[in-house]
Amino acid sequence: MPDSQTFTPQMSSREILDRLRNTSGYFMTNNERDLSQSDFKCRIMPNTTLKVAPYRDETGYFAFEICGGACVHVDLMGKQINPFEKLRLVRKSMPRTLLQAVCRGRSLFGYRPYPDNVIRMAVRLFSRYIDVWRIYDFLNYVPNLTVVAEEVKNAGKILMPSICFNTGYGYTNDYYLNKVEEILSAMGEDIILSIKNHSALGTPRRIGELVAAIRQRFPDLLLEYHGHNTDGNDLGRMVSAVMEGVKIVEVSDHGAGGIYSQAPALSMIQTLNDYGMTAPGFKVQPMVDTSDILRRERRIYERFESTYHGFDPTVKRHKLPGGAANIAFEQAERVGLLERIHEVLSELSEVNKELGNVCSVTPGSQIFWTTAVNNVLHGRYRNPTDDLKRLLLGRYGPFPIYNPQDWIYERVLEYNRKDGKKWRQILDEEGGISRLHDEDLEARRLELQGKISRPPTDEELCLYLQFPRDAVEYFRFENKFGKTWMLPTEVWFNRGGFQDGDRITFSDYDGKTHYIDFISTRRTGDSVQTSILVDHNFQSLTHKVSSQKAAGPK
Amino acid sequence: MFNKILVANRGEIAIRIIRSAQELGLKTVAVYEETDRTAMHIMKADEAVCIGTGPRKDYLNIERIIQAALSSGAEAIHPGYGFLAENPNFSKECTDAGLVFIGPPPKVISDMGSKVIARRIMNEARIRSIPGTDILPEGEEGDEEAMAFAEQHGFPIMVKAVAGGGGRGIRNSANMKELLKNLKVARSEARMAFGNEDVYLEKGLKNPRHLEVQVLADNYGNVIHLGTRNCSIQRRHQKMIEIAPANLPKALLDQICETAVTASRACNYLNAGTVEFLLDEDDHYYFLEVNTRIQVEHTVTEMITGVDIVREQIRIASGEPIAFKQEDITFRGCAIELRINAEDPKNNFMASPGLVQIYQSPGGHGTRMDGAVYQGYEIPRYYDSMLTKLTVYGFTWEETVQRLSRVLNGFIIAGVKTTIPFYKQIMKEPDFLAQKFDTSYIETHPELLDYEEEMPEMDRLATLVAEINAHGYNPYAEL
Repeated sequence: MPDSQTFTPQMSSREILDRLRNTSGYFMTNNERDLSQSDFKCRIMPNTTLKVAPYRDETGYFAFEICGGACVHVDLMGKQINPFEKLRLVRKSMPRTLLQAVCRGRSLFGYRPYPDNVIRMAVRLFSRYIDVWRIYDFLNYVPNLTVVAEEVKNAGKILMPSICFNTGYGYTNDYYLNKVEEILSAMGEDIILSIKNHSALGTPRRIGELVAAIRQRFPDLLLEYHGHNTDGNDLGRMVSAVMEGVKIVEVSDHGAGGIYSQAPALSMIQTLNDYGMTAPGFKVQPMVDTSDILRRERRIYERFESTYHGFDPTVKRHKLPGGAANIAFEQAERVGLLERIHEVLSELSEVNKELGNVCSVTPGSQIFWTTAVNNVLHGRYRNPTDDLKRLLLGRYGPFPIYNPQDWIYERVLEYNRKDGKKWRQILDEEGGISRLHDEDLEARRLELQGKISRPPTDEELCLYLQFPRDAVEYFRFENKFGKTWMLPTEVWFNRGGFQDGDRITFSDYDGKTHYIDFISTRRTGDSVQTSILVDHNFQSLTHKVSSQKAAGPK
Repeated sequence: MFNKILVANRGEIAIRIIRSAQELGLKTVAVYEETDRTAMHIMKADEAVCIGTGPRKDYLNIERIIQAALSSGAEAIHPGYGFLAENPNFSKECTDAGLVFIGPPPKVISDMGSKVIARRIMNEARIRSIPGTDILPEGEEGDEEAMAFAEQHGFPIMVKAVAGGGGRGIRNSANMKELLKNLKVARSEARMAFGNEDVYLEKGLKNPRHLEVQVLADNYGNVIHLGTRNCSIQRRHQKMIEIAPANLPKALLDQICETAVTASRACNYLNAGTVEFLLDEDDHYYFLEVNTRIQVEHTVTEMITGVDIVREQIRIASGEPIAFKQEDITFRGCAIELRINAEDPKNNFMASPGLVQIYQSPGGHGTRMDGAVYQGYEIPRYYDSMLTKLTVYGFTWEETVQRLSRVLNGFIIAGVKTTIPFYKQIMKEPDFLAQKFDTSYIETHPELLDYEEEMPEMDRLATLVAEINAHGYNPYAEL
C-alpha cells in the first residue's frame, strides 16, 4: 500500500483529514463494537478480537471501532475486562490502525448526562488510545456535544460529530443542513461529519439525496456513513451514500455480521467495483481470512444471537435501533412478551410518534422501548419511568421537531406526585436541561479508595464515576481472578463444566503459553472440589467451591 | 561409626540431619507425634516411631524418645535444635541409657545454658562480656541491685532470663520505671517458659550488630572455627536473615574467630557449637553466649566453607577427629539464608497455618533449599512456622543479593501467607543493599511491610476456571 493512502495512529489529525480530502475513492471502518452490540449482545470477547487483530490490521481500514456505546459498561459487567486495558491490548495488536469510539455526547458511554469535569476526564483518558471520536446526541441538540468535542480537539484526535438520521415529519434536508451548519459553527471545519442511521431507516435513494444535499452546500466537508442492516437493505444505502460522495462507510465482516449490525464490507466492495469505485489501499484477502476465523468463533456466541430471527423491514415503522434490538428482544422474552412482540413493536411505533418523533437511539431508544413495554403491560403511559419524566421535562434537551401532546405530559408528570402539582406547573418549575455540578474528583477518589482498599488509578476513577457499582464489582473481580481476558472464549462461556483430562491452553500478555489441566472433579453435597494442574511445571491446585449454586454441569 | 541414629526432632532440621546421616551410610529413625503424622521428615527417614499423641509435649518427652531409640536399635540421638537440644538432662539420660548424644556433654550444655555461669567462665578466660550482673536476688534486694547497676552503667538495660535462649526471655528497659516493671514480668515469663525464674541484667548496647562464630571441637583437643555469620537482622530478638561471612575487616574477623576458639576451649566444648558476640558502633565486640547445638543458620557457613557441619557432628560423636585442620578451611564468596515462615508479616507476623495449595520451589545455580513442606501439606498449628530455609550463595554480596532476589521471585507458595513478600521488599531496600543494618533494622524500616500481596496470575485464573467447573457455567459472564 502506498504510504500516501494509509492512516496510522502516529499521524496528526490534520494529516489524516488532509489525506482523506486528497485521496480519491472511499474508505471503510470496521465496526466490531457495533457488530458485538447489535448481533451478539455485546459479548464478542477480547480473545476473539485479538485472534483476528493481525488480519484486520493488515486490511487497511480507515479505523476500527472497538469502544463506546454499551460496550464500555458490558466490558465491566459481562466480559470482566477493564475497557482501558482492552484498548491497550487492541492497540498492541493493531498498531497500524486508527481506533474509533462512539460516544453519546454528555452521556458518554452511559445512559444519563455526566458533569463537565467527568466528561473531560473521560475523553482525555480514553484519547490515549482512541484516535477517532464519533459522537452524537439523540436529540440532535448540538450543545450536548460541545464539551466532548472540545476535549477531543484538545487531545488532537479526529472529531466525528453525527447527525442522527430519522424519517417522518420534520426530518427534511433543510433540517439536516441547518444541523450541519450548527455543528460546523460550533466545532469548525476540521471534522468528519457522520450520518448516523442507527435504525436502518430510509431508502438508498433517500440517503443518496441527503448526502447530495450536504455535499452541495458543504462541498469540502468529509462525510461518513454509519448504518444498520436491520431491513436487509443497508448495502443499498451504503452504496448510494458512497456514490454521492461519502468518504468513509462503516462495515462488518461477512463471517460475523448478521442482521442488526452493518452490512458486509465485501458485498459493498463488489457492488461499487461495478461502478468503477475503489477503496485505495484496501486488501481483501486479510478481510476474508478474518471472516474465516470469525465463522469458527461464531459458534461459541450462538446463544447470544437474536432469538427473533430474520430481516425486519418493519423497522421503518417501529424504528428500534440495531444496537438495541437484540437485547430488547431478550428483555421481552424475560417478561414473557416475545409472543406479543408485534404488539410491542406496534406500540413502539405509536410511542415514537407521540414522543416527538425523536431519534430512536440511546438513551431515547431505551426510554421508548421501556415505555412501549410498560404501555402494553400496564396501559398507555400508566406506569411511566423516571427517564421518561426526564425526557418530558427537557432534562436531556429540547424536543427537536415537536413536543408530545398535553395528555401525555399530564399522565407522565403528574404520576405519583405527592404534592398535587399539575403538569404545566411542574414543567415550568422543574423543566429544562440538566445543569450538573462538577464532581469533587478528589472526594470521589477517596471514596473509591475506601471501597477497593488501595489508591485507584485515574482510569479506575474514570470508570467509577461513570458506573459506580459495576466498576467496583469489576475491580474486586480483577483483584480476585486477575486478567481473565486471557482465557479462551469457550472457557469463559463454558456450559457443563470440564472433563477430567481437559486441557486449556492460552497465551498471556507477553505471548507466553500457559496450560490448565483438569485432573478430577469431586462433588460432595453442594461442594465441588476441582483438582487442576497449572502450567507445564504441573503445580496441582485444589479448590473447594462450597456454594448452593454448585449445581454441577448443566 | 554408628549404624543407625535417631533424630529427636521434626521439620527441616530433622530432614537436614537425615540427609547427612544417609550420606554416611547410616540408617535413620524419625520420631513423630500423632498431630504431626503427615510431616515430611517421617517420609525421609528409614524408620519412624510414633512417640505420642502430641502436640509438642512428646517431642519433649525424654523417656519416650530414648525408648524409641532403644527399641529401634539406634546407637545415637541427634537432637537438632529446639525441643530437647539444649537440655542437659537429655544429654545425660542418653548417655545413661547407653546411647550417644550427638552434641556436647551435659556439663557444657548446663554451663552455657546458664548465662551467668557462661559469663563467669568467659571472664576467667579474659573474654570481654557486656557488663552485667549475677543472678538477681528476688524481691526488694534484687530491685536495689538492679537500680545500682543501672546507675553505674546507664540505660538501656536488658533483663535476661538465665535459662533463656533463641531470643526468648529478653526485655529491654529504657528507664528505671521500665526496669523494675520488666524484672517482675521477665521473672514470670521465665518461670512459665523455662521453669526457672532467675534473671540477670546486661548493659544494653545501642543498635549492636549480632555476630557469631561456628566452631567444631572433637575429643582429641582439636577446636577449629568455620568463620563468622552476621545475624543482625532480627525481629524481636528472633533472627530472620543470616549472612556469612560478616562484612568486617579481615583482621577483626580473625580476632573474633580466635576469641571464639578460646571461648570454646574455656568451656571444654565438644561437637558443633556457636559462640555469639555483639558488636557495638565502634566495632568493639562482646561475648554474648554459646549455643550448644546446631544452629538454624548453619547452612550459610556450609555454603562458604564447603564443610558439612552435621556430618562432622556425627563423626565427632562417633569418636572420630574433625576431618579438617584450621588451615584447611577457606572462605569463599558470600551466602545468605532466609527463613521462609508460614506467617503473615502484615499481621504482626502471626502464624498462618493451613493447606499448602501450591509449592513451587526455586532452583538454579547457588540455591539451596532445606525444607519440610510439600504441596498438599496441611501445616499444623502446633509447631514452629518455618516452612523452609532458603540459602543462596554467590561470589560477591551483590551477586548473592541479585540471585536471592531472582530466587524469591520464582518461589511460589499459595494457600498460606508467608514471609516471602516481606523478604522481596528487603532485597530492594537501599540500606540492606549497602549492608547497613544492625539489630534495629526491622523496627527502623516499617516500609518493608508496605507491599502488595498477590496470588500469581495463573493461579488466580485457575481459581476462576475451577469455579466455572463447579457451577457448570461462568457466573461472571451473565448480565
